[in-house]
Amino acid sequence: MNQDEIILKIKSGGQTELGLVYEEYREEFLRWVVKEFNCSLDDGKDIYQLTILIFHDNIRLGKLEHLVSSVKTYLFGIGKNIVKENQRKERRYIPLSKEKWLKENLIDEPTSKIDDAVFERAKNALSKLGQPCQRLIELFYYEKKSIPEITLAMSYKNPETAKNQKCKCMARLRKLFEEETEQNTFAINHESL
Amino acid sequence: MNHSEADIALVEKYFDSELNDAELKNFTMRMESDENFKSLVEQEKVLIAAVRYEGAVSSLKYLEDLEVKLEKETPLRLSSAPTKWYYYAAAAVVGITVVVAVFMNNFRNQPDELFQAYFTPYPNMFEPTTRSSESTDSKRKDAFQAYEQGDYQKAATLFEDLLKDNKEAGIVLLLGNSNLILGNVEEAKANFIALDKDFDELDMQAKWYLSLCYLKSGETEKARAILKELGDTEISYATKARELLDKVK
Repeated sequence: MNQDEIILKIKSGGQTELGLVYEEYREEFLRWVVKEFNCSLDDGKDIYQLTILIFHDNIRLGKLEHLVSSVKTYLFGIGKNIVKENQRKERRYIPLSKEKWLKENLIDEPTSKIDDAVFERAKNALSKLGQPCQRLIELFYYEKKSIPEITLAMSYKNPETAKNQKCKCMARLRKLFEEETEQNTFAINHESL
Repeated sequence: MNHSEADIALVEKYFDSELNDAELKNFTMRMESDENFKSLVEQEKVLIAAVRYEGAVSSLKYLEDLEVKLEKETPLRLSSAPTKWYYYAAAAVVGITVVVAVFMNNFRNQPDELFQAYFTPYPNMFEPTTRSSESTDSKRKDAFQAYEQGDYQKAATLFEDLLKDNKEAGIVLLLGNSNLILGNVEEAKANFIALDKDFDELDMQAKWYLSLCYLKSGETEKARAILKELGDTEISYATKARELLDKVK
């Protein structure tokens, strides 16, 4: 499989395809990162997992369509940036919380950080959404699948049905978020009495 | 806060990149002039961010589970942590095995020949010379670099200097190796004896190389005693030590 085929496979695939890439470069990456940065194997694994997620994100968002170098070189480059950036911020190879790192590096925009409390309420609302809505909007907004791809993946009758369903799911999510916000406002008011 | 169906549709189309030029113009105007509309856009942005975040966390969990599975199937043995030097020692022993297999067909079991067959310089596992570090002392860096490049005379001189300031087990081990290679067998013996007695780490490496020193100087009984001691353990050197012990007459 050549470099562009790997990118296409990840773009059109899911976690399984991501897992194949993870396995393919794992040993070489871990040997390199442990030696290069004199870090522990466990830290190396954390760095590698975040590296693969950034690689995946760049492909999904269309930032990476063709590679001028090899996948290996690209992954090593990402890994190096993670370590350097983290050493600059926290004087460690890897953040204490990978989840926090994901929010700061994959979700927040450089110029506008999402308020933690508001983000927490959005996550709560999402956790109450239930299936198949959660899966549907995740395919659309995270995996960046098109409506025809979602129609196939989730066995909808046609793309129109899938699109309508997606709109209904988002409407429900907005309502849940508003409820979370109201509850939060009530709790704050109650505490201040 | 209530929002009209039309506004919600406009915002959805914006985030799904489906707006035409006229709609985009309308969207931009509303963002500048309508706080209620702007708050709807901000809310949608946060919700989509939460969806993306949960997707990324789910992928992370998938990779973490996969890593656990892979580690069970094909465990990786690598570390630069000082406490895990013995992994590298084990790798060195495997290397020695290969060398021995080739040589053993061609020579008689004379002590010096056994030494030649079994001796491999201990790799520098203590100071990566490629890593740049502001705090890295230049003499120290030069010493390890010389060792890696095979300039054992320079390495030995610099290691001795370094040991005057700071006693480090790794440096003593490499100094012993340098002396052994240079033919300074008595100095090498002293290094490995000191390493064994004065430090809490690298004891097995010290014993292994000390046994090779004794082979080199023809003191086979002393070599046999150490090899027997190593052979009776469960450490990575044990197999090699037992094999060598069989050959030392």
